[in-house]
Amino acid sequence: MRVLIADDEALFRDGLGRLLGDAGIDVVDRIATADELLRRVELTRPDAAIVDIRMPPTHTDEGVLAAQEILRAQPNVGVLVLSHYLESHWAMRLLEEHPERCGYLLKDRVSDLAVVVDALQRIVEGECVVDPTIVARLVNRPREDSPLQELTQREREVLSLIAEGHSNDAIARKLFLSPKTVETHVRHILLKLGIGEDADYHRRVLAVLAWLRG
Amino acid sequence: MRRVPVAIGALGLSVVVGAVSLAVGRDEPTYSFAGASTAGRVALVAAGWALALVGVAFWVGRQAGGFGLLLAAGGTGWLLAEWSNPGASSAFVYTTGLVLSASALPLVAQAALAFPGSRLASPLDRTAVAAAYAGAVVVLGLAPALLFDARSHDCGDCPRNLLALADRGEAADELGQIGIRWSAVAACVLALLLVARLVRSSPAARRSAWAVLVPAAVYCTAAGAVFAASSSHAFLWNGTTERRLWFVQAYALVGIAAGVCWSAYLAQRRRLAVARLVVELAGSPPPGGLRAAFARLVGDPGLVLGYPVGEAGDLVDVAGAPVDLGPEQQQTRLVGDGRLLAVVGHRPGLLAGDDLVDEVTATARLALENERLQARVQVRLAELRRSRSRIVAAGDAERRRLERDLHDGAQQRIVGLALSLRLASSRLVPTIDPAAAAELAAAEADVREATKELRTLAHGIFPAVLADGGLDAALTAIAEEARVPVRVEGRSSGRYSPAVEGAAYAVVAEAVGAADSGVTVRVARAEPALVVEVELAGVDGELDRTELEDRVAAADGQLIFGGRNGGVEIRVVFPCAS
Repeated sequence: MRVLIADDEALFRDGLGRLLGDAGIDVVDRIATADELLRRVELTRPDAAIVDIRMPPTHTDEGVLAAQEILRAQPNVGVLVLSHYLESHWAMRLLEEHPERCGYLLKDRVSDLAVVVDALQRIVEGECVVDPTIVARLVNRPREDSPLQELTQREREVLSLIAEGHSNDAIARKLFLSPKTVETHVRHILLKLGIGEDADYHRRVLAVLAWLRG
Repeated sequence: MRRVPVAIGALGLSVVVGAVSLAVGRDEPTYSFAGASTAGRVALVAAGWALALVGVAFWVGRQAGGFGLLLAAGGTGWLLAEWSNPGASSAFVYTTGLVLSASALPLVAQAALAFPGSRLASPLDRTAVAAAYAGAVVVLGLAPALLFDARSHDCGDCPRNLLALADRGEAADELGQIGIRWSAVAACVLALLLVARLVRSSPAARRSAWAVLVPAAVYCTAAGAVFAASSSHAFLWNGTTERRLWFVQAYALVGIAAGVCWSAYLAQRRRLAVARLVVELAGSPPPGGLRAAFARLVGDPGLVLGYPVGEAGDLVDVAGAPVDLGPEQQQTRLVGDGRLLAVVGHRPGLLAGDDLVDEVTATARLALENERLQARVQVRLAELRRSRSRIVAAGDAERRRLERDLHDGAQQRIVGLALSLRLASSRLVPTIDPAAAAELAAAEADVREATKELRTLAHGIFPAVLADGGLDAALTAIAEEARVPVRVEGRSSGRYSPAVEGAAYAVVAEAVGAADSGVTVRVARAEPALVVEVELAGVDGELDRTELEDRVAAADGQLIFGGRNGGVEIRVVFPCAS
């Protein structure tokens, strides 16, 4: 897999590059600002770009904007946005426009390289990725009289995995369940939450996230 | 001074003098200006008595009324001109006539130049009037009378001149001629001075004084013309031309009397207006009511009233808003005790140089002071509000900068450090140095913990989600991280100023932080207002009301605390948020 890293902190750029290199991932380019990102992506044609959410010049949301730009202009290039923000607002902002081939992970997650590599693989395959910590916060937040309380422990696990962007097959593998069982769980969950069952994979992620945030 | 007896005496004198003048003229029309005609007789007494009546009335009606007496004296002087008729039957009448026959000119001119007061303002006026007295009464009247007795010459029937000390006819004639010419020049100068006074006076003063000054100038001119026409004689001649000019003088004198009445009417109307103002002020007009009262008083609906505030004396209205005087508006300063109380902007010529300004300032002094103080308080309040907003905004900007520094500095470096540790431990073969591997793992765990703490710290300092996503996103974020169930209903639909968003967020965050059970947040946009309501079932911690009130007020909002049964309801309204 060929990836590009965009981050204004040199220590981070180089560290992540070396770690990914160790894991057998080909880091084709490392850049420090967002404005040259799209041009470099078009030049190097990576499978995915890892983009910091805050970069010069304003240090606000350049990463999100650049990611959306790449997703619009280069549908075959995936984008993984790294961020320090725990709030679901940013992940939703990213996914709402382009739920395919993109992901949102907390930045400190990178020291657990397996998670990053897994996320990159899923993104390249066309899925979307939402950081488990963010999803856990949404699922576990205190609620009054919520259908969530009617879910079994297993169903809650499945719900979290849906929100993180996993497909049914991936959920089955992770939880050591048969795809049929997972399908049944998913149907139950969506029914209890009142989410339309016919939603395709990407719409399903968004719908579940929106439900959890509301 | 007891005025009424004096007034009756002056009027009685005028009536008697007029009656004698009529009698003298009837007995010997040849030497009379009025002659035997009804028109002449009517003109004679109409002018004399009108001046006397109006003058006396003016004197009685006004505290400072030297003008009135002068005018009355002028009227009597006018009647006395008939007494120098040699056909007069009484030596006293004849002698008085000889001395005072030309006294009307200086008396009337002095009165008109002093109008409406009794003192002559400029040295030039005083000199001219003194010269006119000297010429008409001393040189033309008294001096020849001392040196000439007609009876000792060709007029055996003439009455006796009681003043004649010597009989030097030529000298008397010469003095008479000098007096005539002198008086002609003096009359012309006085006429010019009257015109000059009319031209130089302010529009407002001119409006009330022209009715006196114009006929007075006509009178002086006509009198001067009579003197000029008589200049080949030693006394006032009553030829055809002189008689015509005499009629002009009579009309002009009646005109002066009418003019005094007109200006008195104007003054009365103004006093009524000021009295109305007094009544209005007594009814405690609402703020800004003074402007409306002044506008009605002056008759200019566009009148503006500005109060000077601050070092620069910028003009503001009673609500503290800056006052703009239109380019076509004239400014009149209302000064009390040497201090500028207010500036009135009005149509040109309405107030300038008018006594009304002083009367109004005196009348409305307290109300003006009151409104001026109100204006000052409003201006200071606005300044305070602005400075409070600035302080809050500066605080927010500083927190934002801190959050940015933490985020882009420390947080980034610590994540980089975590990566370095990860790299180091991946290079290390655990079996060779298990102790080092354990230490590295512990360090990694510490760094992860530090990252989390930093994240919480940065978020607490400034919520980046508020700046990026606005109030709705930030309220969702509050609900996500709350320890208690938080339900957000409604949407703010759009963005507001950082001050409004920051204040609304602070209120909800503070309330949620203090809640020990469910919280409902209701947000509604009601153009142009933004309303946020927070309902807490129970409160655990302490709500910092003062800080919240400060924040909300700095964003021009209102914060209302309510609640019952242990619950708390907080309502925040930003009336002009969008």
